[in-house]
Amino acid sequence: MLKIEDLHVEVDGKPILKGINLELEAGQVHAVMGPNGSGKSTLAYVLAGRDGYEVTKGSVTYKGQDLLEMAPELRAAEGVFLGFQYPVAIPGVSNIYFLKAALNAIRKHRGEDPLDAIDFMKLSKKKAALVQLPDELTKRSVNDGFSGGEKKRNEIFQMAMLEPSLAVLDETDSGLDIDALKVVAEGVNSLRAPDRAMLVITHYQRLLDYIVPDVVHVLINGQIVRTGDKELAKQLELEGYSEVRDASQL
Amino acid sequence: MTEASRQTLLESLPSSFDTGPDWLRALRGRASEALREQGLPTKRTEAWRFTPVRSVVDTEFSREDKDVPALVSELPAGVSIRSLKEVLETQPQLLEGRLDLGGAPSHFAALNTALFRDGLWIDVPKGTVVQAPIEIAHAVPSSSAPGVAYPRVLVTVGESAELTLIEAYSGDESRQLSNSLVEVDLGRDAKMSHVRVHENAGLQVGRVDVRQGPDSRYRSTVVTLGGALLRFDVRCLLQGKGAECELDGVYLIDGDDHVDHHTLVEHQAPNCRSGQTYRGIVSGKATAVFDGVVMVHRDAQKTEAHQENRNLLLSDMATVHTKPHLEIDADDVICSHGATVGSLDEDQLFYLRARGVPEDFALAMLTYAFLESIVDRVSHEPTRLRMREALLSRIPHGDEIRGVT
Repeated sequence: MLKIEDLHVEVDGKPILKGINLELEAGQVHAVMGPNGSGKSTLAYVLAGRDGYEVTKGSVTYKGQDLLEMAPELRAAEGVFLGFQYPVAIPGVSNIYFLKAALNAIRKHRGEDPLDAIDFMKLSKKKAALVQLPDELTKRSVNDGFSGGEKKRNEIFQMAMLEPSLAVLDETDSGLDIDALKVVAEGVNSLRAPDRAMLVITHYQRLLDYIVPDVVHVLINGQIVRTGDKELAKQLELEGYSEVRDASQL
Repeated sequence: MTEASRQTLLESLPSSFDTGPDWLRALRGRASEALREQGLPTKRTEAWRFTPVRSVVDTEFSREDKDVPALVSELPAGVSIRSLKEVLETQPQLLEGRLDLGGAPSHFAALNTALFRDGLWIDVPKGTVVQAPIEIAHAVPSSSAPGVAYPRVLVTVGESAELTLIEAYSGDESRQLSNSLVEVDLGRDAKMSHVRVHENAGLQVGRVDVRQGPDSRYRSTVVTLGGALLRFDVRCLLQGKGAECELDGVYLIDGDDHVDHHTLVEHQAPNCRSGQTYRGIVSGKATAVFDGVVMVHRDAQKTEAHQENRNLLLSDMATVHTKPHLEIDADDVICSHGATVGSLDEDQLFYLRARGVPEDFALAMLTYAFLESIVDRVSHEPTRLRMREALLSRIPHGDEIRGVT
């Protein structure tokens, strides 16, 4: 589904990603772990198509297409979803109305009819229940006045609504207490599917106790230094990133 | 009916005023004298620095007979609407001291005072609470030759009375000048919500002067949707203790539009509160000017005054001049002011696009949200919905936004 080959990315002329290789199959969940400043969020933003990230080398192929050539909204329409680390508040734009606009734009791209108001509300109620997002929050302005946990639940709610093929979840665990983490993780797990791939980006192993990955990559200083199974995450937790990095340099 | 002769605005001032009550003749005389001394604004006139009116001053206009706005809503029970001309002829004493703008009018306001022939007096007597809004519409001149009209409205809201007034100005004939003046007098504990809509304003100079008694509440919502040349002033005198005013405004302009909004709040009494919140979206080669003043007099202790002007520039060719300022002579006050000129928030735009909303639609959603938050403060629901509708009809993708909201 997703093939990243020798990806080099600069921000303001400074190299951040220095040759990433990663292949993700449908149905798989991969975790990318790394310390602060290793390039985790850059990887997420490049996949979603944010401005300001210059790809100097390499390629990203998604479902056989050149992902890097596509506008962010086209990526979304083709099934790419980014769960933001810091979801922005948009006062005055209602969560539910914006999501309706997004969902219907995606449906249009797929050649499907827009959902009418009633079907949309039904779907929204069902999906909000998945992450225990109160009805009242779905109607408020996007992330406006939401707590950290509510913002993250809102991200997973949106993911559930848009049903992407590839979900990139950028530090979905940051700012969550253990109860909120469980709720969010359960929401994510309920969305695991044979035709859906997920790239879970995190600093801490804790999240991976709840969202158990098939493959774990360790990203340090813009490069994937180790790739392994879920046991690698546990090893990281015990030994820390420096040990793993040092070991990788042997 | 149009008079055949065409004159510049200053030429049209008569040498003497021979009709009407003494006080009105004296008032018109003073206005006329002030105009002869000051002339009309030039580029060097500070308050008109960014809004050149040379072409208006030099134009020869014919006098249009359009000084009386039309009542386009039902007249609620308990409210009286009378012709100013008729009252001036039969009961002039009722209007004495109420058409004088609290002193010495200047420039276009003086011109209106000298030259208006008729107008409306809307009176809501003491204790009368009117739920349904009164709506008046200003006539669109029919002539294609340059014409000028001097609409004049007096609104008096008695003690503990309440009124919602909607004023609609439209007409895209840029050769027709409307120089309007609205005076509002709010008694103790009176409340008024005043919505003024300029749609495709052609050539407009307008001013609203409000005098507020103790504990009165006034909210002005100005919605300017395009304007070839518009200058609009709202001035609020907080004369009674505990009075509050909120002056809100939105402007959405494009092409060669030029709109200039001035606000002035004078805190003359203690314990008053005022807010000014203007937001604008400026595209194309349009120019927007905002100039807001808060004056706090020495005796106006415990004043709270806030002022904000935010602008979104959607084109490199668009221009915004913004100047919020405070003049404070009291020491126990809470005041804030600020102005911003910027483009849309990139983070917000990316968030919407990353979810699948096409870029131009995302831009429209953010643009609409920016302005709608001001219109949302109008408490009368049908009026609020109408203002939203007016915005949607102007914003790109308005239909689609309507479809999801």
